[in-house]
Amino acid sequence: MTSNLAMDAAVDVLGRLPDNGLGRSRKAALRALQDTGLPGTQNEDWKYTDLSEAIEISNDWLRAGGKTAPVDAQSIAAVTAGLEVDWLIIRNGEVDLEALAALQRPGLSTTLLSDSEAPRETSNGLASMNLALLRDGIVIRIDPDTDLDRPIGILCIDNAAIARAASQARIVISIGAGGSASFVEYHVSDGDSEHFANSIVELNLEKDANVDYLRIQERHALHSQTGYLRAKLDAGSRLQHGAFDFGGKLVRNDLHIEINGPDAEAHFCGLYLAQDGQHIDNHTRVDHKVGPARSAQEYRGILHGKARCVWNGKAIVHAGADGTDADQANHNLLLTERCEVDTKPELEIYADDVKCSHGTTVGQLDETALFYLRTRGIEEGAARQLLTRAFAETIALQAPIEQLQQRISEGIARKLAGMSSGDAA
Amino acid sequence: MLEIDDLHASVAGNEILRGLSLNVKPGEVHAIMGPNGSGKSTLAQVVAGNEAYEVSGGTIEYLGDDLLQLTAEERARRGIFLGFQYPVEIPGVNNAYLLKAALNAKRAHAGQAEIDAFEFLQLAKEKMALLDMDPKFLNRGVNEGFSGGEKKRNEILQMAVLEPKLAILDETDSGLDIDALRAVAEGVNTLRDPEHSVVLVTHYQRLLDYIEPDYVHVLSAGRIVKSGDKALALELEEKGYDWIKEVANG
Repeated sequence: MTSNLAMDAAVDVLGRLPDNGLGRSRKAALRALQDTGLPGTQNEDWKYTDLSEAIEISNDWLRAGGKTAPVDAQSIAAVTAGLEVDWLIIRNGEVDLEALAALQRPGLSTTLLSDSEAPRETSNGLASMNLALLRDGIVIRIDPDTDLDRPIGILCIDNAAIARAASQARIVISIGAGGSASFVEYHVSDGDSEHFANSIVELNLEKDANVDYLRIQERHALHSQTGYLRAKLDAGSRLQHGAFDFGGKLVRNDLHIEINGPDAEAHFCGLYLAQDGQHIDNHTRVDHKVGPARSAQEYRGILHGKARCVWNGKAIVHAGADGTDADQANHNLLLTERCEVDTKPELEIYADDVKCSHGTTVGQLDETALFYLRTRGIEEGAARQLLTRAFAETIALQAPIEQLQQRISEGIARKLAGMSSGDAA
Repeated sequence: MLEIDDLHASVAGNEILRGLSLNVKPGEVHAIMGPNGSGKSTLAQVVAGNEAYEVSGGTIEYLGDDLLQLTAEERARRGIFLGFQYPVEIPGVNNAYLLKAALNAKRAHAGQAEIDAFEFLQLAKEKMALLDMDPKFLNRGVNEGFSGGEKKRNEILQMAVLEPKLAILDETDSGLDIDALRAVAEGVNTLRDPEHSVVLVTHYQRLLDYIEPDYVHVLSAGRIVKSGDKALALELEEKGYDWIKEVANG
């Protein structure tokens, strides 16, 4: 079954979106969407993740006229406080113009997508929907050889307090040759009605550019999210990406990396912690188009209750991409019997001189390690918590942008505490 | 201190210990020797409280209590320490954190307050110097990426900090170079006094050149078949274990 948006309602809402330079792109995107539809479970890449409910949420929102509730300033402060980060804010899909104007730094330019010539990616149904219903996006450009020492934060914050709602966010980032910058993409939401957020991020690293990129997702338990990030890496560039999913109901992340130049490097890691009622799906894809180059990823998940998770890591080594080194790992800790994870590494190799490896595990805590800790006087329950925490912390330690590590560790601790209190109930 | 009487234990349905008896008094050092598969490691695991091993008969008394009624962590808090043959790597758990948590668990059991951070660091560094260990090991994950010798030194470090009443060292000497062996022996000999007892489980006589045992026992097919003083270890080194099997069968 191909699900799709309620087109009549979408056309209505589209007509009421801000009258900016996106008008024609929106209409073209909606037409494209009409043809392709949104991904359904008959699509191999989506067979474990059913978007029907998220699409229904979007349609209810469209039929009600596409209205949004205001976002509480305190919710923003709860994320931004205590961090040495320059924040850009997208509230319910609306770019905060004040924050955008305030971000002035040498070698950095920030503009609205509607005022920019930046490409408007619509290579899949969700990207088309995003553009069709997009109020506006953010375009960030770092000049060549500019080194931004302070991270740029992009806070996507949504509120669905009154009725079911949906929102679109779009960010286009390009780093000039030899430039270096770090980014924190942070997703939070509140309000007890269901919400569906859909974000698209384009990240272009020119020659020898260097990017640290951290994504943290702490959405409300009723809120769903799809996020697509495509990174293009030119020769000698380096991307370090870390992804942390703590919240949300149905979450699907697609990380697509294209290695387009020799000696590029992409290191990425991810952690998903899911409990009852949560479905978290991480799909990663690396296209090694040129060699020599290296990609390495490690994702870990901890599942509790009836949680459902998916990890699918695809590496494609294209013809001629000799000297490619691609490494994938996914490890899952199942704390209860009713949770379920599907883990699938995929390698497609069309070059000769390549080094590819993958390893995945699904299991429980290591009994030997547990006994070891107990022989040191650590009580069994505490030993289990310590090992579970350690399993997650090894990913936190790999994450880029050191000042956020404390925040991530707190997120891990809070989430795991929630899981163990679920045991008692 | 430790009285084992007619102990029978099995793992995964296989009976490994078949009527083992052993009496360790305060201050004594006992060496348990024997061929592979004789039950040496099983004995160590059972005394430490590994639930994968099922005790089907016999008793173990420790300081007057029924040891088999206690969990592994309770045994540790009451002063039993097992040095693992294969110390476990635990990435993400800081070595110093574990050391401090273990010490505080023992102190809490004894009704003492938690050790203060400065005092702990002093103690850990002092013991590390004794074992010729680089203090940077404190900040690494437990045994994470340690070489075989470093892992064994780390076991001895834990023992030195915890000062157990009864230390059972399971093949701590295996795979060690001479410097590491000396460091391990130094750790054990420092602990040695009329209050503290040590059980050395070993395949080879080599360790006993550095730690002189009061008693040497030979284990075969799950029972102690011969006991003596350190001269027995030398005899074993000379004659091998086949000789013992004949004694046991005869």
